[in-house]
Amino acid sequence: MNSSAEESTQEETVELTFPAIPELVVLARFAASAVAARAGFDVEEIEDLRLAVDELCASIGQLGPESCVRMEFRRTGGVVRVQCVFEPRHTMTRHRRTHHEAHRSPGDLSVQLLGALVDDHGFEDRNGFACGWLEKRRGFVTR
Amino acid sequence: MGQARDDSMFPVVHLEGEIDLAVAPALQGQLDALLAEGATTIVVDLLDATFLDSVALGVLVGSLQRCRDVGGNLHLVVSDRRIAKVLEITGLNDVFPIHDRWNGLVGKREEQTTQ
Repeated sequence: MNSSAEESTQEETVELTFPAIPELVVLARFAASAVAARAGFDVEEIEDLRLAVDELCASIGQLGPESCVRMEFRRTGGVVRVQCVFEPRHTMTRHRRTHHEAHRSPGDLSVQLLGALVDDHGFEDRNGFACGWLEKRRGFVTR
Repeated sequence: MGQARDDSMFPVVHLEGEIDLAVAPALQGQLDALLAEGATTIVVDLLDATFLDSVALGVLVGSLQRCRDVGGNLHLVVSDRRIAKVLEITGLNDVFPIHDRWNGLVGKREEQTTQ
């Protein structure tokens, strides 16, 4: 798989927003696969990114239909950076407290998996909303 | 998600496809029901599963502990390399009894019954 797109250093961004319902996290995994393939990842690297993105979604907040997950997949050459923000679907004032309550620390298993599957990752509070990110490069060897 | 089957001397939970945070509650319910019925050792058949995340894995770990608390165990049957990798990364391949095929598990059962 060596298409011109894979070799291109031109940045591509895919944005995805969906209700924070567990059954819809499959959409994030699907997007991760597509972007990883565009970056020239091999099959194992694609699987690693799919799992890492799932862990990112599972880690940043208590999923529920009153919130939404906003994701950005950015590819530059063979590097994929994924950002995931957990935010209310409606007004900020109405949901902010609930959203704060939804913040939680990633589980130990999730942290272990993320640490092994991607080059770098992190979690932060962004204007009161939980945000997680990860970065994976083509050719990165699972630790 | 699959269903329990009875072609083993232990109750078997058969899982298919992607076992993720959406499936985890149903898996939890199924394992809870088996434990409530008095099962002490349970087999989770992942031969037809293609994905396992930390949420579902957490359910298995919790049920493993509950099985061991009553003197039993929770066996995994795994052949998919992606699932094996998840178990390896988390170190749980040394915690669960893991079998790569049913024959191995049958052998284990025979071993146990002769003791």
